[in-house]
Amino acid sequence: MTQTDISRAERVQVKLFASKAAADPHDLVPVFHRWIREAKVPDELLIDVTDYTHVWRGPGILLVGHGVDLYYDLGEDRPGLLFARKRAFEGDLETRLTDALKRALRACADLEEDGLEFSATEVLVRVPDRLHAPNDDDAFTAFVPVLEAAARAVYGAEAVLVIEREEAGTRQPLTARLRVEDAPAVRTLA
Amino acid sequence: MSERSWKSTLGEAIPAPLGEEIDAWEAQIELKKGPGMDDRIFAETRLRRGVYGQRYDNGLRDDGTGQKPLEFPCGDLKKGPDTVFDAPGMQRIKIPYGRITAEQLDVMSDLAEEYSDRILHVTTRQDIQLHFVHVEDTVDMHRRLAACGITTREACGNSVRNVTACQFAGVCNTESFDVTPYADALTQFLLGHPDVQDFGRKFKIAFSGCHGEPCGLVTFHDLGATAVLKDGKRGFQLVVGGGLGAVPVEAKILMDFCPEEELLPVSQAVCRVFARLGEKQSRARARIKFLIQKEGIERFRELVAEERAQLRDDPRWTDFLDTLHGPIENPIRDGGALPEAAPPRFHEWAKTNLRPQVQEGYFVATLTLPLGDISSEQGWLLADLARKYTGDSIRATVEQNLAFRWLSGADAVAFWEALDTMGLAQAGASTINDVTSCPGTDTCKLGISASRGLAGELRKHLTVIRDQLDPAVKPLRIKASGCFNSCGQHHVADLGFLGVSRNVGGRKVPHFNVVLGGQWTENAKSYGMVVGAVPSKNVPQAVELITAKFVADRQEDESFQAFIKRIGKGEVRKLLAPITKPPSYEEDPSYYSDWGDPREYTIGDLGIGECAGEVVPFVEFGIQAAEQQLDQAQDLHDVGEHGKAASQALRSMLTAAQALVRHLGHEVRDEADDIVTLFREHLHDTGLFHDPFAGGKFATYLLKAHAAGDEEFWTGADAEAAHRVIDEARLFVEATHAAYARIGETPQLTPPPAPKASAAAAPAE
Repeated sequence: MTQTDISRAERVQVKLFASKAAADPHDLVPVFHRWIREAKVPDELLIDVTDYTHVWRGPGILLVGHGVDLYYDLGEDRPGLLFARKRAFEGDLETRLTDALKRALRACADLEEDGLEFSATEVLVRVPDRLHAPNDDDAFTAFVPVLEAAARAVYGAEAVLVIEREEAGTRQPLTARLRVEDAPAVRTLA
Repeated sequence: MSERSWKSTLGEAIPAPLGEEIDAWEAQIELKKGPGMDDRIFAETRLRRGVYGQRYDNGLRDDGTGQKPLEFPCGDLKKGPDTVFDAPGMQRIKIPYGRITAEQLDVMSDLAEEYSDRILHVTTRQDIQLHFVHVEDTVDMHRRLAACGITTREACGNSVRNVTACQFAGVCNTESFDVTPYADALTQFLLGHPDVQDFGRKFKIAFSGCHGEPCGLVTFHDLGATAVLKDGKRGFQLVVGGGLGAVPVEAKILMDFCPEEELLPVSQAVCRVFARLGEKQSRARARIKFLIQKEGIERFRELVAEERAQLRDDPRWTDFLDTLHGPIENPIRDGGALPEAAPPRFHEWAKTNLRPQVQEGYFVATLTLPLGDISSEQGWLLADLARKYTGDSIRATVEQNLAFRWLSGADAVAFWEALDTMGLAQAGASTINDVTSCPGTDTCKLGISASRGLAGELRKHLTVIRDQLDPAVKPLRIKASGCFNSCGQHHVADLGFLGVSRNVGGRKVPHFNVVLGGQWTENAKSYGMVVGAVPSKNVPQAVELITAKFVADRQEDESFQAFIKRIGKGEVRKLLAPITKPPSYEEDPSYYSDWGDPREYTIGDLGIGECAGEVVPFVEFGIQAAEQQLDQAQDLHDVGEHGKAASQALRSMLTAAQALVRHLGHEVRDEADDIVTLFREHLHDTGLFHDPFAGGKFATYLLKAHAAGDEEFWTGADAEAAHRVIDEARLFVEATHAAYARIGETPQLTPPPAPKASAAAAPAE
């Protein structure tokens, strides 16, 4: 696995955790329908909303788009906003990650207007692209500088970052947990 | 360095024939992106690969304030009539008789996470569906599935759909024998078979191991086979022409006893009769049940017997019988008794979700999946669980659950505890809180009401009150369909619900028709009675009223079916009368939205369903394939591969000729000699292929090329010879188009010869 291979990974997911979660995940259903009406996500065609709250630690409430999906995700038993880039984006992995982080922060800031709160100090980052980014040591080694560069583009060059590997050796996609010391509020970063 | 691809990464792990099919599918997508492929043909091609449309794929969606265009980046590019190329769709993964290995579950979970919405959905026909998939991603999905032994071929479209079977086959106490190898043999035999390519509609087959239990549901299938032993000999009772839909029809007996060696040829004969005589123009009447209604079952039996008598022998009909009696699955752990000491919750779960196998010390554990859904993460965990406790013995069930077979009683508690850690230890499999539903308006283009929303609501409510429910109520089944196509199988539920729309005060209100007293047992023996519609939001109340009356008024040991029959429609209507009218919009606007959807209800988003497929005559696929081969020949010639090019050009003529011969109703093998002999007899010698001006000139291109040598011979051709044969092949394929246009979509068929006496093949009276 080389830097070149991993840079071709098309799909990335970024999750920011809620510090004040929705009282009921279903509260997000009308919010996401409103986002479709208002074309709330820039440069993205939003299509529909789906409810998967019946699935244990599942995708929760899904806002389906053409190039990206947004989830009020219930994974890890910790609700959060999961931004998933699935297609329709030029550039390499670093560019995709930077964009994903920025857009996820923007979406969190928008959801804070509806009473939720999110923290920017911890970000779960997945690369669900087993062809270009298998979940192995080589790929993770190649991934770290890419993620670091993307994080610095969003959090600033001086930010204190810790990048840890998650779920090594399983069938999970390549996953990292990014921790940012004293990260500003999402509204500041968005 | 060349770019990585799934094709190169998986390499020989993809069986060659599947790899070629997927390469062709990839080429067809590329062709579609150019001007080179008709929308209709592409749609049917796509459907036959299990790549289905989804709601809003016509590029329009009502956002609650009116219908708005969805501006996909592809612009006017379509993937079918009125189907936008970029619109997300559904990938149906055909799982024959529901059998899934741990590796396959892993791979499908990977695919759900990478290309879909991280959810695997189990359907009422033992398929797995992934939603919100882009058509271009399906190529790699198919490759990755093929590498673990799954093809999506003919998962949709006018073809033989997934062959289903009882999930307890082989481990059941009531079966005559294990139907698994027969279901497998018929699946493999009919997959891609030329005789099943020219249907006017889909064709569904089911197997059951016995008459008494419901698992196979054979009575509402196009072809149903129930295992029967006659004087110690294995065979099947075959039924035909069943179906749900708007007006459910119970299948009729085709043969009381079809010996095992006749199962495949008789099924083939049924398919040939359906392809030959079934309706092609009117989709609404194109299922085989209408053909049987038109001909009558007696005449249909004669037609099948005649067709069977003229079939050419095929070794595949009986080859599988030699390997029949070995074990299908082997346990990976020693059997054992259930422990007496276990948590009370385990015992509650075991009552409904654990069933003893016929093999001592082993059990089938049924996992109650909410709305048939599991996440990718649950999929990986379940695959590990199978590896640890049961081996490759998972079966998807028609009640949208997963059955794990060969669980040792000694492992049952540990297995259940593991399920509990992944949110899948819910009790109540196949009982009132295990509600079944089709996708409805969530993703289906035909959905009228939110059947999944309703099912989710009922499930949530009934799970909470389950412990307080009367013992007579707990075993009842609830099923919901979003429209009259009845994919939720509501006709055979105790309490069935069918999505409909009603106008109230100038507004649309989602409703469900209440259908009561369907019979799930005895292979779904009888259909429920339509009582009337109630507003969607009042359905939970309707369930409470009906079940309470059943508890209060049932006679001793009276079944729900008998109860409903006894009290009749009038009494139920009276019971439901107070909740059949919704309040006005001003009083309570929530009635004017459907479950789980805050938008004001509309049926404006209804699309044109793809269940019916595109009626594209099979001959058109053949000619299309010939054209592709011809293009490949030209490409080979251009890069100096003259021999291969010439050989491929000959192949393209053979493909086109074969398509036309088959279109005339003649059985033709893939061998060049057979194709050319039949082409000469039925198209050249009859003059059917003759051009009005050039006469038989184009036909002679094939005859001459074939006479000169086979495809191997032509690999020795030089540049000049290759150039000539490519030119001739091009003219031949053009002439095939012209001949097809002259013959028409419905050719005058050569009548089959008089039937030969064949006791084994003759359907029973």
